[in-house]
Order: sequence, then structure tokens, then C-alpha cells
Amino acid sequence: MGGGSGGFPIPLIVRIAALSVALVFVQVGVISEVPVFGVTVDLSPLLVAFVGLMCGSTLGAVTGFAVGLLVDLMLVQTLGVTSLVFTVIGYWAGRLRELRDPQAALTPLLVGGAAAAAALVGYSVIEFLLGVDAPVSFELLRQIVLGIVVDTLLALPFWLLVRRALDPALPDDPRRRRRRAYTTGGLSPLSRA
Amino acid sequence: MYDKTVRRRRAVLILLVALSLILLTAYFREAPGGGLHSVQRGFLTVVSPIQDGANKALKPVRDLFGWFGDTLHARSQRDQLRKQVDRIQAELIAKQANERSYQELLKLFHLDNQISAASYTPVTATVVAKSPNIWYSTVTIDVGTSRGVHLNDPVVNGEGLVGKVTQAASDGAQVSLITDSEVGISAMVNSSGVSGIVQPKVGDPNDLLLQYLPANSTVNPGDYVVTAGTVAGGGESLFPPGIPIGQVSSIDENSPYKAVNVHPLANLHNLDVVQVLTQVRGSKAARLGRVVASLPPGSQAGSPATAAGEGALASTGGGG
Repeated sequence: MGGGSGGFPIPLIVRIAALSVALVFVQVGVISEVPVFGVTVDLSPLLVAFVGLMCGSTLGAVTGFAVGLLVDLMLVQTLGVTSLVFTVIGYWAGRLRELRDPQAALTPLLVGGAAAAAALVGYSVIEFLLGVDAPVSFELLRQIVLGIVVDTLLALPFWLLVRRALDPALPDDPRRRRRRAYTTGGLSPLSRA
Repeated sequence: MYDKTVRRRRAVLILLVALSLILLTAYFREAPGGGLHSVQRGFLTVVSPIQDGANKALKPVRDLFGWFGDTLHARSQRDQLRKQVDRIQAELIAKQANERSYQELLKLFHLDNQISAASYTPVTATVVAKSPNIWYSTVTIDVGTSRGVHLNDPVVNGEGLVGKVTQAASDGAQVSLITDSEVGISAMVNSSGVSGIVQPKVGDPNDLLLQYLPANSTVNPGDYVVTAGTVAGGGESLFPPGIPIGQVSSIDENSPYKAVNVHPLANLHNLDVVQVLTQVRGSKAARLGRVVASLPPGSQAGSPATAAGEGALASTGGGG
């Protein structure tokens, strides 16, 4: 993994940065304006989680912090809230990859759902800690649950998009190469014999 | 090698979390004119033209998605609106006669110099960004202080009150919508004149609560709620009277002060073009705005003692 800043390839970092900036602009300019089932879709926690899932915990956490800061700056929100939540999400998704390396087809769906839940619950906890005077109402819970469900439904297609954007710049991982050989039609050592 | 990687990974996490917490604490504690707020306003100034361009480029996509949603509701809305038009036509005829008498009486008692929405200069703005977070009901618009937009200026669209300006940079501004948890509006029920305070129902972006109405007041579903033209404390926005806010959807009789659910008239999900009601320097509206800004922040919108009309500290409705 050499050749780049802190051991990460520069093309990968450039792609993540471009994808993050583009997504934040599209998120605040278009996606936030189009409610689905009465809730606003938020793809930014999914992006952070998927970067962590593909690139590891360090890049996941850094991307989370950067995307969070950009969102807070662009929307004139309390600085640090989104950064804190997204840093944890990116790091967690990265650790999941490093410790378990999950390969199931539904992994992005579950990771996306967990990231959306962490983001919505994380915001809520921080806002309550900051003293927002809001009752824990049924409507609030409904909004949170619906938000998680909608984000989870969109996780799989969004994962394909993120993977398509980042895959060419990912360094060759021996574990991925081995898996490809066994699972996608490549010859195994046994069949060659 | 492995230890080094682990140490670096943990160091990065701790550094980023610490940085986030420092930012959060510093931002939360500092005054709106502080350094971090200034950086944020500077960033908004730089990003606004880009956001504006991106917004225009992506408008067809947004319109396409909006079209699907709008079509689903169009039929039911059409039937509802037809009934409403019939009712309003009948009311209009009756009210035109009352209006003539009212204007004559105003002139007779020299009360025809009141502040109204017409005393403000509307500046048209395009919405370029919207927060996806249920905790922040805010939008960013593409006009700012260079066009006369100031903090607390009311923001409306063709349907009714949208919110108020809470941050202003030279070429962009942040508008907190009426569903934002930090917004409270002195309002009254148009038919009966009873006043209270409209606050958001947090977690439900489609509903507002009109609170602190006198227990014996008469409110019916379908009544319109409009701005009262008063404020209940420092820090609030001085909305001109008579701007439509919403329509009463249901009434909660159980609370000690009558609480009324209000459905906003403005479609806050699909804001495209809005108008900021700016105050002309030296005008009566601007002078009153300054008086309101100088009020002590002690009494807040949520305080029942200052609500319900009698506690209002400043009024735009005073005679000339």
C-alpha cells in the first residue's frame, strides 16, 4: 500500500475526496429536498461506512471526520456534531472489515442500516446532551425508525455505486485475490491438478 | 510493524474524536460573532455560488423526483381545494363589506399607519441547500447581507410563513424553518383573535403546536393561524402581523393550557423560491426590529406568562 500519504495510495484518496464532496453537494441540494415516505434520506453516513468497509478503519475515520465537518460547515450546523458521529461510524465499519472481513452479499445492507441507525441515534443523543428542548415523542421515534428503514433499503444500490467508484483505486489485497480465485470462476489449485 | 499500525490507527481515532469534541464545545460556547461562527459564515460565502450553480444544474433531477410525489397527492388535494374555493368565495363576499367599514374606521381613528408585511422590502431568494437531519430544520439561500438580508428577517413564500434568517453572510444566509426546534412565533387564531405561541412538534416535520392559549378560548379545526405581530422575548423575530402560518388540524383539550396542532401552510419539504422580508434602513419596521433585538433575553417563547397576548413585550401593531 505504498506510494501515498500515510501509506494510502493517492488515487484512492483523491477518489474518496471527490466522491465525498460530490455526495455532500447532491445530498444538501437534491436528496434532502425529496422526502421518501415522509422522511429525508441521508446518504452521507452510508458513504462513510462503505469507505470504512472497503478501505479500513483509518481511512473510514478520516473520511467520517471530513464529511461531517463539510456537512456542518455547509449547513451552518453546530460544528463537530456530525464529525464526531461520522468518525465513529467510519472507524467501526473499518474495524468490521479488518476483524471479520464479511463477504455475505447482504453485508452492505446490514452495515448501511447500522450506519444510518448510529447516525440518527448519535445525533439525537448529542442534541439532547446539548440541551435541545425536545420531548421523546412517538413522532420522533417514528422518524428515526423510518429513516433507518429507508436508508437500509438504499444501502445496496448505493454500495454498488461506491464500490464502482473506489474499486479501481484500491490496492491489490491478497485476501481479495484469493477469494476471487475460489468464488468467481477462477481455477483453484485442485482443479488445476 | 503490527504494533505500529495499531498505534497509528488508535492515535488517528483519538485525535479525530478529540478534535470533534473540541470543535463542538468551542462552537457551542462561543457567541454568534465568535471565530468559529465567522469561519462558518466565510465558508458559506465561498460555497454559496458553487451551491447555487450545483442547485441550478441539479434542479431537473429534483423536479423529476418531486413530480412523482406531487402527482400522488394532486388528486386528493384538487378535491379538497375545490371545496375550499367554494367556501372561501362565500366568505369573501361577506368580508369585502366588512373590510370597507374597517378601513373607514382605521382612518377615522388614525390607526392606518400600522406595520404590515407591506412595510418590508421582499428580496427573492433561491434555496440552495437543505439539512437532511431531523434536528436541524434549516435551509440555505443564495442571498445575504449584500442584498440587505439581516438576522431575524422573516422568510415567506406564496403559501405562508417559512422561517427566519439565523445566519447571514454576504452572499448567502441560513434560514431556520418554522419547524426548527429553536423557532417560536407569537401567533393568533385568525377567526377568534386568541393568541399563543407556535412551536415545532420536534420529530414531526409536518406539524406545529400552538400553545398557551387560554383554556376558555374557542378554536376549531380548519381555523387559520397567522402571525400576531408581537414577540414574547428577546432573540425572537418580529414577524409582521397577518402572515399565514398554518391551519388547525386538531385540538388537545387535556393540557392545562389548550394545545392546538397546526399544519403548516407552506410546503417545507419542497422549498424552491422564497422571499426574505428585509427592513429598509430607517423605516418603522427597522426601528421596531432594533427595539426587539435590544430586549432582555429573559422571557422566552415557551413561557406561558408572556404568551397569550397580554405578555407581549413589543408589538408591530401599534398605532402610528
